[in-house]
Amino acid sequence: MKRFAVVFLLFTVALAATVFAPASASAEEVKLVGVITKIDIAGPDATTATATLKDNKTGELVTVIVSDELTLDKFKDHRIVPGDEIRLKYEVKDGKNISKYFRKTAGC
Amino acid sequence: MKRYLIVLCLLVAAGTAAQAKEHPGKAYIEKNGYQGPSTCEAQGCHPGTAKAFLSTVHWKHASPVTNVENLDPGKEYGMRNRIYTMCNGNDIVNNLKEIPPNPKTGKTKFTGCNTCHPGDHLSDVGSTGPEAEAAIDCLLCHSSAYDFRERKAFKDGKGRVVMGQDRSVKAAMAVGKPGVKNCMVCHEAAGGGVLIKRGFSFTRETDAHAGKGMVCVDCHGGKDHRIPTGFDPNNWASDGVRVACADCHGASPHEDKDLNRHVARVACQTCHIPRTGGAFAKDFTKWTQGSDGFYEPTTLSKEANETAPAYAWYNKTVSNTPTFIGPKGSRGDKESRIYPFKTYEGKAFFDRKTGKLLSMDFAPPMATGDALAGVASAAKTLGIREYDPVPGWQTVYFGSSHLVTKEKALSCVNCHAQNGVLNFRALGYSEDEIRKLTSAGIFFDKMADKQREAW
Repeated sequence: MKRFAVVFLLFTVALAATVFAPASASAEEVKLVGVITKIDIAGPDATTATATLKDNKTGELVTVIVSDELTLDKFKDHRIVPGDEIRLKYEVKDGKNISKYFRKTAGC
Repeated sequence: MKRYLIVLCLLVAAGTAAQAKEHPGKAYIEKNGYQGPSTCEAQGCHPGTAKAFLSTVHWKHASPVTNVENLDPGKEYGMRNRIYTMCNGNDIVNNLKEIPPNPKTGKTKFTGCNTCHPGDHLSDVGSTGPEAEAAIDCLLCHSSAYDFRERKAFKDGKGRVVMGQDRSVKAAMAVGKPGVKNCMVCHEAAGGGVLIKRGFSFTRETDAHAGKGMVCVDCHGGKDHRIPTGFDPNNWASDGVRVACADCHGASPHEDKDLNRHVARVACQTCHIPRTGGAFAKDFTKWTQGSDGFYEPTTLSKEANETAPAYAWYNKTVSNTPTFIGPKGSRGDKESRIYPFKTYEGKAFFDRKTGKLLSMDFAPPMATGDALAGVASAAKTLGIREYDPVPGWQTVYFGSSHLVTKEKALSCVNCHAQNGVLNFRALGYSEDEIRKLTSAGIFFDKMADKQREAW
């Protein structure tokens, strides 16, 4: 009976790990579509920038740190400007929102 | 003394190289400002370039097309007038304009297929004459300091829709050979958004050539603005000059003779571009409302390198029917080689009476979601009075010539296995041939040798 209880406990723990682990991992990445309200970039040589977006669904303002070269370049030459709608993915690391995907929704 | 001469020569060479990077005429621009092509042609620099540019595909968005079936040989074709299902509109029916106000928000916006045309829209696609020459936006492609806030559509005092340009001295002082950015401003966002149409990004991470610091015009470098292109079955217009991998890499690019033997019947792209990306399906009959209230055709899309190509024989001639645009060719045709293609399916309205695909003006559906209103507007523009629209699908095979990789190229086992990427049966091989072609016996000794070398 004791052995059965131990096996049952282990099974329960394993099941819980399986069910809850992916959920907590995927919670790290956040997706939203929103309109840029502000871009802060420190000059033409900047290697990071911050962009604030208004989430279309919630209306909340979200500020992310952008460091990928392509997007930074688009900030610098104003191909991406406040008012543009963006499809955004970001991760929360050390309390900061780090952009992982920053794309204008509009095309030609 | 000899050493002194060598050092002197090196210094002179370095100075010359530095001078070559500096675009001449900057003093003139600083003093006189930048007025557009007239400045580029002043002082005997670039004489006649503007006039010549008006005859190129980048200005006309069309050219004679000789390798596509079912076309009128007397006409020119391109995005100016084509009707297909990646871009169900074209420069004519979906001309840049202010769309009707969205009923929900009351807002409007400017949109149209010719938004990327390097003119000012008053001088539009295919226009000619002195006004057109003066309207060319040279800096859009040649400046590394172009301010894209200036390149926005607006209405002038006469109510005409004008495309703005950055003609600042700052932008003009930064002229030179087009960089990747200059090309990608238009070419990455075609077809309805970033990486939608072509599905490739040209970055260090995604392309071996970009990884070596190359830029688009290193391969697509044109003379007199005639830009060499490949034979993409869906990219019809051309300036009459072509580019191919072999132009740089030769006909025997590998050290391995067996690999070089493949080149006769297998295109370089087949092994070296194993993935594609971008939109793989789109529905122009059902438009999806975005959070800004405007509608877009419902689109399914993936990132670069996230989809698998289709493989087919291709002799650089193109099948063009209402339901299929793609490669022609066969195993028996010695001009054909196996190429990879980005496949795409688009749903749009066809005319039940003629079976032909109908085109669409995006302004009405973008404002209200009414796709048939877009068809009606396009039909009116084209003078089509009677038509009976029915939804249907069209398959398009796009050429796949970017996202080049050396490290992740297909190797023997990727094709010569029973679950390999090539469907030998569909490619015209017999059952006996397939058994041989998909057996490890065909490559075993070679791969075993390589495995030994690697470890």
